[in-house]
Amino acid sequence: MDRLSGIYIWGLIILIFALWVPETFLTTTTLRVLASDQAVTGMVAVGLVVPLACGVFDLSIGHVLGFTLVAATWMNVNTGINMAVVTLMMVAIGVAVGLANALLVVKIGVNSFIATLAMSSILQAFILFVSNNRQIAGEFSDEFKSFGRNVVLGLPQPFFYLLGLTLIIWFVLEYTRSGRYAYATGGNPAAARLAGVRTDRFVTVSLIVSAAVAAFAGVVLAAKLGSASLTAGPPKLIPAYTAVFLGSTQIKRGRINAWGTLVAVYLLATGVKGLQLSGTEVWVDDLFNGVTLALAVGIAVYRRRGDSPGGLAP
Amino acid sequence: MTDLVRAGAAVTVAGGESLLEVRGVSKAFGPTEALVDVDFDVRAGEIHALVGQNGSGKSTLVKILAGVYDPDGGSIAAEGSEFDPRRPGEARLRGLRFVHQDLGLVDSLDVVENLALGRGYDVRFPRRISWRHERHRTRAALAELGYDLDVRSLVGSLRASERSGIAIARALDGWESAARLLVLDEPTASLPEAEVARLFDVIRTIRARGVGVIYVSHHLDEVLDLADRVTILRDGARVGTFAADDLDHDRMVELIVGRGSVIAGGEAETPGAPAEYEPSLVVEDLSGTVLRGVSLQVGAGEVVGVAGLTGSGREELGPALFGAAGRSGSVSVRGNPVPAGRPDLAVAAGLGFVPADRKSLGLVASMVVRENVTLADLRPYLRGGILRHRKERSDVDAWLGMLDVRPRNQTLGTMRLSGGNQQKVLLARWLRIQPRVLVLDEPTQGVDVGAKAEIHRRITDAARDGAGVLVCSTDSAELVRVCDRVLVMQRGGIGAELLGRDISEERIDRLCLS
Repeated sequence: MDRLSGIYIWGLIILIFALWVPETFLTTTTLRVLASDQAVTGMVAVGLVVPLACGVFDLSIGHVLGFTLVAATWMNVNTGINMAVVTLMMVAIGVAVGLANALLVVKIGVNSFIATLAMSSILQAFILFVSNNRQIAGEFSDEFKSFGRNVVLGLPQPFFYLLGLTLIIWFVLEYTRSGRYAYATGGNPAAARLAGVRTDRFVTVSLIVSAAVAAFAGVVLAAKLGSASLTAGPPKLIPAYTAVFLGSTQIKRGRINAWGTLVAVYLLATGVKGLQLSGTEVWVDDLFNGVTLALAVGIAVYRRRGDSPGGLAP
Repeated sequence: MTDLVRAGAAVTVAGGESLLEVRGVSKAFGPTEALVDVDFDVRAGEIHALVGQNGSGKSTLVKILAGVYDPDGGSIAAEGSEFDPRRPGEARLRGLRFVHQDLGLVDSLDVVENLALGRGYDVRFPRRISWRHERHRTRAALAELGYDLDVRSLVGSLRASERSGIAIARALDGWESAARLLVLDEPTASLPEAEVARLFDVIRTIRARGVGVIYVSHHLDEVLDLADRVTILRDGARVGTFAADDLDHDRMVELIVGRGSVIAGGEAETPGAPAEYEPSLVVEDLSGTVLRGVSLQVGAGEVVGVAGLTGSGREELGPALFGAAGRSGSVSVRGNPVPAGRPDLAVAAGLGFVPADRKSLGLVASMVVRENVTLADLRPYLRGGILRHRKERSDVDAWLGMLDVRPRNQTLGTMRLSGGNQQKVLLARWLRIQPRVLVLDEPTQGVDVGAKAEIHRRITDAARDGAGVLVCSTDSAELVRVCDRVLVMQRGGIGAELLGRDISEERIDRLCLS
C-alpha cells in the first residue's frame, strides 16, 4: 500500500482544494494548464531517472534545456529551416553534450557532480553567446507553434510526449536486460562489473539520454512559449531532482523509477496550483515543494532504516 | 596464586616490570570457541610475539585488549591493577596503543594532520592552530623513530614503511598519558620485503625506550629475528610461551600446526597418481602487485585449491585471473584468451568468479535476491529483447530450492539474508550459467556449518559436471575436503603442490609457513 501513498496524497490534495476553491480548482482550464505547464519539467525529470538509476548525477540538464530553447527559437526566427530538422539538430546537440559529460566522467574519471556542473557553466556561456544576452522574439511558423500548443483529446500535445517518454523509459528499465544492468550499475558498480556488466557503457548511455531528453524538452518549451527567455531553463533543475527523489518512494519503492517520477511531478504541481488559486503568497510554492520532498523521502528512509533494498540517493 | 605465576614467569626471561597480565581469558562466538582460558603477559622493554594460524585466536585476543569484544571470563590487569578495556578511553589512559593492520591513515591529509587525528592540535589564542609548532612537533615525533621526511607531504604519496612509521608515531605520541604498551597487528602484511628491515629498526628503538610491544604475525622468520618471547596459540588455546632463543623455525611450525608431525621438510614424498584432465583454465606468467610469474592449469572436472598466507599472493590470484585487478601475463579458458581489465569478456569466455568480499564486490544490495541471482546472464529470459519475468521467477525459485536458500523468497532484499544464504545466492548466480571455469575466493567465509557443507557439495557437483574449479582459501580443512590438488602460494609464486592423498591440513599449513 505504501508504494502508492503518493497517489493517495495526490487525491487528498485534490479533495482539499476542490472544497477550498471549487470554482477555480475543479475546471478543465486548470487541468489543461497543469498538464501543459508540467510537461516540460516532467520530461526533464523522467530523462533524469536514467542517469540517477545508473548512479551518476546530471546537473547539466537545466542548461541543456535552456540552450536548446534559445537556439531553437533563434533558428526559427532567423532561418527558414524546417521544424523537424531543427528538432533533430537540437537533440543532436543534447547527444553531444551527453557524450562530453560521459567522456569526463567515464574516460577521465571526474566525479559526475563536478563534470556536469562544469558543463552547466559552459552551456550558460553558449546561451548568452547565441542570444546576445537578449530575449529572442519573432514570428514563429504555425508548424512550430502547433508542436507545442496543439490540443489532443482535450489535453495539450506536450503532455503526450511526456506520457510516451515515461512509458518508454519505464519499459526499458523494467523489461529489458539493459534496464536491469543499469540498476545494477547504480546499486553497486564494482559488483556489477564483476558480474560481467559493462558499467562504463551504461553510465555513458545514461548521460546521453538525459541530455538528449532535456534538449528535446527545450524545443517543446520554445514552441510553447513562442519566444526564448534566457532564464527559463536552469530553474527546471531543482523540480526535476525533487520529482525523481520523491518518485523513488512510489510505485517501485526505494528504486528510482519513471512512473513514480511522473506521479511526483503532478502531485507537486497540483499542490502548488491549488495554493496559487487559493491566493496564497508566492513563496508558498517553493516551501510546499521543499517540505513535501523532505517529508516524503525522510519518512521513507526512516521506515526502511537498516533494511533493504535501500538507498534513495544514487 | 597470581603472585606465584608472575614470579614463575619472571624466571624464564629477564625483563622489566610487568605491564599487562591476561589471566584465563575465554571468548566464544555462538558454538565456536575462539579463545579458551588463555594466559598472556607483557613486560616493559620486551617484544612479545603472538603467533598462530588463521582462526587460532590471536586477533580475538587483540580485539579483547582493544575493547572490541567483551571476554566471557578471565581477568586483565595493567601494571598491577584491574583493567577493563571495554570502558571508553581506558586503554589509552593506561598507556595501551594499537596499530591495526590497515594503519587507519587518511591518504588525503598530510603527515602533520594524520598525527593530529585523535590527539588534536595545540591551539593559540583565539583557537588558532600554529602550523609551525605542529610541524615541529611532528618532525620531533618522527625523528625519535629515526624518520626524516617532509611532514607536509600527503600520506598517500609516501612509501609503505613510512606510512607504517607514521601510524606507529601516532600511536606512541603522548596524549593523556605516555605509551607503555604498543600492539602491532600484522605490521608487515602489506610491506615490501626491502622495507621490513626499516620497520624492525623502529620497533627495536621503541623497545629500547622501555615500551612493551605485542607483535602479531604469522611470518615466523620475522618473529625469530625480532621477538624476545613468543606465545603460540592453536585453536583458541595457548600452546605455550617461549623465549625466542629457545625456538627455531621447525620447532615453531610444529607447535603452531600441532598434530605431532612426522615429515621434516614438508615436501610430499609420494605423489598420488595425477589424474588425466583436459585443461580448462591455462594461466601463464601471471604477475601483479604481489604475484610474480605464476603459471598454472586447471583441468575440466578438476578442483584445484590455492592456499597461502595473507600477503603470499593467494588473495590476489582470483581477481587477477578474472581481470578485476591489474595484471600481466596470459589467461585462457578452453583456448579462448581472457584479456586483463575486462570481466565482461571473462564471463563471455566461460569464467565465473565468486569474490571474497561478497558485500562490496559480489552482491548488489539495492537489488532483490532474484535480480542478484540472474545478473550474470539474462539471455535465457529474453524473448524479442523483452525480459520475461515469469520465466525468470520460476527459474530462480528452482535454484533457491536446489541450494536450500532460506527463506526461499526471491523478492527479499538480498542483505536481509544470513551470510551463508547470501553466499549461496552468489554461488547460484554462477552455477546457473554453467561456467567452464569457476574461481571461488574464500567461498565459505563467515558462513554457518550447514551452508558450508552445502557449498562444498555444490563445488564437487560443478566439477563432476565438467567445470574446472579453482578454490582460493585460508581454510585448510576446506581445501582438504574439496580439492583434487592444492597449490601453496609463497611470496607471490607457487611454492609447492600437493596431490590426491598427500593433501592434508598439516601439510598445507606447514608449506604455508615455510
